[in-house]
Amino acid sequence: MIVGLLVLVLLQNSTHTNRFVEDSVIKISVPGLNVHAGQSKIIYVQITVKKGYHVQANQLKDEFLIPTTLELNGGDIITIAKQSYPVPKKINLEGTDQYLLVYDGNFKVAIHFNAKETARKGKYVLEAKLHYQACDNKTCFFPKEIIFPIGLTIL
Amino acid sequence: MGLMKQVVGLILLFLSFQSVAQQDHSLIGQPAPSFQLKAVNGKIYSIEQLKGKIVVLHFATTWCPFCTAEAPYLEELSKTYADKGVQVLIVDVKEDKALVEKLTQRFGFTFPVLLDEDGAVSTQYAPKEVHPDLPRHEVPIAGNLIIDKEGKIRFYSLLDSVNFDAKLSKLKQKLEELLKTGNP
Repeated sequence: MIVGLLVLVLLQNSTHTNRFVEDSVIKISVPGLNVHAGQSKIIYVQITVKKGYHVQANQLKDEFLIPTTLELNGGDIITIAKQSYPVPKKINLEGTDQYLLVYDGNFKVAIHFNAKETARKGKYVLEAKLHYQACDNKTCFFPKEIIFPIGLTIL
Repeated sequence: MGLMKQVVGLILLFLSFQSVAQQDHSLIGQPAPSFQLKAVNGKIYSIEQLKGKIVVLHFATTWCPFCTAEAPYLEELSKTYADKGVQVLIVDVKEDKALVEKLTQRFGFTFPVLLDEDGAVSTQYAPKEVHPDLPRHEVPIAGNLIIDKEGKIRFYSLLDSVNFDAKLSKLKQKLEELLKTGNP
């Protein structure tokens, strides 16, 4: 509900500067971006995992684990070409030969996109979703998603 | 002689730490909260029908990495202790049966995997003083309990990823203790 209101406020009052959204585990920050119709660019989504937590990485060895993924609906404005995730950190599971692939601290997801030739000039706010499953030393939390805006200006 | 005293002292200190680790939750020593749940195999299991057996209970979800790391050791434990009156059960928290079934097949569990579809049983097993800010059904995930023949909780370890005990050595130690002494 709060996130929904935040997105609404941004839609009405968009300046496309650096915005952030956070929950109890994650803080997301995305700088506003200018692009010409037909041009290719990269959106860098800055994610901060709060101290003491980690989230599962994007590419995991185990199909049952929940990877960190980013979903972005480009609508009539942009086409997503690819997403790049950082190299994960290995956490050894004490007493076993197994390890987890995780992100903690700060990391960036790069979204490579093409602005559509047909995109009209103007300011847009795209809605993005980050899906993740976090743990701390004492608990593994149910998977969550956090919705955040990405401000984009077609020049 | 001095050395002997030091060794005995260290053993006593170790045992006291073990004891603290097992008894730092308010549910230790309490009757296990009653439940009746359907298993992946379609049968209904209740804590009451298991009285007279020692029950090892593990709370899990398919996406919990620590739960999957413990899974083969739970199966091994079940096979080792089945003929000693020990019943191993997994309680899966708030997930679809099809997904849980898939994980059950992967690990070849020979013991029942119960479906706590609404998280109500998991909520009952959340010690009130642990993570008071968290939805209660999330607290026991990756936790292991031993319920004695009388239905009392004798061991309860919640996740501690820093000192992760995938091989369930502390649980086995307590289990051996209970088996040796009957139901102390």
